[in-house]
Amino acid sequence: MNINYKKIISVIVLIAIGIIFVFPFYWIITGAFKIQEVTILETPQWFPLEPTLENWTKLFKNPTVQWLTNSFIISFSTMILVCITASLAGYAIAKKDFKGKELIFGALIAAMALPKQVILVPLVQIVNAWGLHNTLLACILPAVGFPFGIFLMKQFSETLPKELLEAAKIDGCSEIGIFIKIVLPLIKPGIGALAIFTFITSWNDYFLQLVMLVEKEKLTMPLGVALMQQEFSTNYGVLMAGATLACIPIIIIFIIFQKNFTQGLTMGAVKG
Amino acid sequence: MKKVLSMILVFSLFVTLLVGCNNSNDGGSTGSGVDGEVVEIDFWNFPNYTVIDDVPGKYEEALVAAFEEKNPGIKVNVQMIDFKSGPEKINTSIAAGTAPDVLYDAPGRIIAWGEDGALASLNDMIDDGVKENVSESILRASRAGETYYMYPTHHAPFMMAFNKTKLEELGLMDMVNLEGDRSWTTAEFEAFLKAINDADERGPIVFASSQGGDQGTRAFIANLYDSPITDDALTEYTVNSSNGVKSIQWMADAIDSGLLENGSAYDAGTAIDEFVAGRVIGTLLWSPGLEKIKSEGLNFETVFLPYPNSENPKLEFLVGGLCILDNGDSAKIEASKKFIDFIANDPEWGPKNIVSTGSFPVDQRVAVNYDDPMMTYNATMSNNYSTYYNTIPGFVEMRTYWFPTLQAVINGDKTAEEALNDFVEKANASVK
Amino acid sequence: MGLSMKKKSAKRIIKKDDLIAYAFIAPALIFFATFVFYPILKGLYNSFFEYTWRENTFIGFDNYLALFRDEIFLKSLGNTVKIVVIAVPLIIVFSLGVSLFIYKLKSFSRSLFRAVFYLPVVTGSVAVTVVWRWIYDPYSGVLNYILKFFGVIDDNIIWLGDSSYALFCIIAVLLTTSVGQPIILYIASLGNIDKSYEEAAKVDGANSWQVFKNIKWPLLMPTTLYIVVISTINSFQIFSLIQLLTSGGPNYSTSTVMYLVYEKAFKLGQFGYAASMGVVLAILIGTMSIAQFKVFGKEVSY
Repeated sequence: MNINYKKIISVIVLIAIGIIFVFPFYWIITGAFKIQEVTILETPQWFPLEPTLENWTKLFKNPTVQWLTNSFIISFSTMILVCITASLAGYAIAKKDFKGKELIFGALIAAMALPKQVILVPLVQIVNAWGLHNTLLACILPAVGFPFGIFLMKQFSETLPKELLEAAKIDGCSEIGIFIKIVLPLIKPGIGALAIFTFITSWNDYFLQLVMLVEKEKLTMPLGVALMQQEFSTNYGVLMAGATLACIPIIIIFIIFQKNFTQGLTMGAVKG
Repeated sequence: MKKVLSMILVFSLFVTLLVGCNNSNDGGSTGSGVDGEVVEIDFWNFPNYTVIDDVPGKYEEALVAAFEEKNPGIKVNVQMIDFKSGPEKINTSIAAGTAPDVLYDAPGRIIAWGEDGALASLNDMIDDGVKENVSESILRASRAGETYYMYPTHHAPFMMAFNKTKLEELGLMDMVNLEGDRSWTTAEFEAFLKAINDADERGPIVFASSQGGDQGTRAFIANLYDSPITDDALTEYTVNSSNGVKSIQWMADAIDSGLLENGSAYDAGTAIDEFVAGRVIGTLLWSPGLEKIKSEGLNFETVFLPYPNSENPKLEFLVGGLCILDNGDSAKIEASKKFIDFIANDPEWGPKNIVSTGSFPVDQRVAVNYDDPMMTYNATMSNNYSTYYNTIPGFVEMRTYWFPTLQAVINGDKTAEEALNDFVEKANASVK
Repeated sequence: MGLSMKKKSAKRIIKKDDLIAYAFIAPALIFFATFVFYPILKGLYNSFFEYTWRENTFIGFDNYLALFRDEIFLKSLGNTVKIVVIAVPLIIVFSLGVSLFIYKLKSFSRSLFRAVFYLPVVTGSVAVTVVWRWIYDPYSGVLNYILKFFGVIDDNIIWLGDSSYALFCIIAVLLTTSVGQPIILYIASLGNIDKSYEEAAKVDGANSWQVFKNIKWPLLMPTTLYIVVISTINSFQIFSLIQLLTSGGPNYSTSTVMYLVYEKAFKLGQFGYAASMGVVLAILIGTMSIAQFKVFGKEVSY
């Protein structure tokens, strides 16, 4: 009986806290359907009493679909590239001994410590020198270089049992074969998490997009919505409509990749 | 295994997409000035013009189309930027060598870029015709030393505004001077605010949470007891005079007694929103341009009023103008000059552009008639412009120190005297 | 004869293994070297110069010396450390606690809660800050509304405009956007822990706390290390929340080193000075990371 009480209280507390987390999301969705005057009322209007589509029509008068597509291309490509390169590298750093390992890993961690803003101008210069300025690639390639993904995959690969890998090697499996057949399935939860994190980080990387993209057709969703704001006035309705729209691809990616988390994988394979 | 294969497949699809996208892009402005070839210039604009049809950039594109028709050898690429992150975008592009060619901004930043050597000189554009028809204070704001960096186009005063409809309801309009330049003393202003407070209404918000709109609070403080922010020669900051301390103290006391609202957590935009929503009865920052932008949401009549001053009010004002970035390509600079000339002086588009900004032309030859008593009043107030100090070296840096100063006083972290002395010390250090 | 043969072939195997390892890390390293490492070297280099657009004069350590005389920088440094010291432990404890509870729930509830805590990240920082700015609004904000409704306070509190509250308000928002990722990671790792370990321990008579201390916590170390290091870095580098909510105010009470770096570099063009700030921050983070690696980074063996 005691256990049930503890569990019930815990669930209630969790729900209460959860409300705080859900609230911003709820607010932007309902806000997208509110008329401008109502978004900032003194007594909050918890549910739009006069729902309107005017924010959406305003939003779509602009090349919103283009913005969404650009954002999606950038985020998706970054996600794929990062997942591939980071899992290869993370596994190698975790499970292999090679000359210079400490040095390289140290450099990766040190690089995360330096704030991105400091390297932004040199980064723009490099990108420009390669002729990539004002292309979507300019927002993708630098992001693949950030070591967070490698670090995450290294940590996930740490728990792989060495015996399993050695057994496969003795069986005559090639290195890449080991990676694909044995390692990948075991670190799938890590890759799933990495995919989601990378997609979202890339989508919200406002500043990088701001300095790399110039032409109207190349703008991303966050940039486009920002353009619709005036100097002393924020059109909250449109802002929230834009934010809501931006959530949709993110939520889709989340749902697709979160399936990977739900495995407690077969560590038992080695015992047998 | 299947997942890996499918991932690779999807990935290669996207790579081809990307390559396709990349091919259709030249990578920015690469045209050069060989005779007969088209010169391409990049024009970045803040939302200076009214937005047509909720699509930013539509007005600018029409403007550019008209220009290109008259100048077939030049192609202009329009890019809209916003006020919140636009300056950073420009700064980064200048530092990284990817800057545009033409910018439409204000002297505060333009003169700073000019002094840093990023701009082309416009001395040949500022000819005698211009010098005779534009006021000296605006010309002064367009140059650094002897070199003109900005071609000025429009100006408008910044003032306070109040909710005339509500004031009439409350019977308080007789406390407001509507004669001539509508000036009033600080004592009269204080009595006015007291009456508003007694009627249970909220007075204007002293916004201080960011540097946006700080020309309003600076003008407010500078006028109350006549304490100019800088000296006339623009060499040092003088707002920490005893009058300045008196002004800031008055402001802090007014907030404490509820005559003004504590705006430590409000920026200018939010404060103005509160005014437009009718929740506060006045705003410390207003201009004809703002009235135009907000006209949709305004459901009451506004009345423009100058900052209270024992003598004549001294108003800060906005000046807007165009500048050319020197990217080392003389053909582009020449093309840019033609473009600027069109924007400012084209018989059809010159006046049209001014009207679109909701402000007044700096050049008397550009004929704009608003036929609106509100605009007429604003136009006459240009006689009350104070020294334009936005071109003082380090102006941009000073702005980062002003709003924390207000916050410190409002919060009680520092006394008025301490805060102003600290401010002047830091601000003077920025005047290199 | 046999021994030296073994040695020789051992040496050759190591070399071949090295090559294989390099091949694995090569793709990532190429991107890293080009787009991260090289710009970092350049950034470091810049910190020794008076680097604005018009001048590039070598001034040695002058930037660094000026930093420590700059009271705004020192205040920002203090704020930054405050944020890290408060936020990081809270993030770890909260996300671990929640994960331990959630991962045992039914699959639907587990996925639901996981999504709930990740929602602020999904919503995006622009939207999140708009909402929180409104929550903290002195007159029309829901926080004051609720507090007054329950009689906790009488007058409106100017949350983001009061130097005593502003920093904590920012930390609160930071927490909501920071626990989502750790929770997902912890749940994933907890799911990876072989149930048989736990069952065996329970059979031996261990209670839940002992199961946690001796089995789960050690096996979670790699994940914990990641979360500690990343949360520390993110908290040290907190920026967009501050930019959108308080611009570093009131009176620099929420100014952080990152915000200053942004201001000096991109608003004022003082790239050299900004770079030196970034280096100081990086050294600070680096030192903390080394300590964290020592504490949480022990190799886990079976």
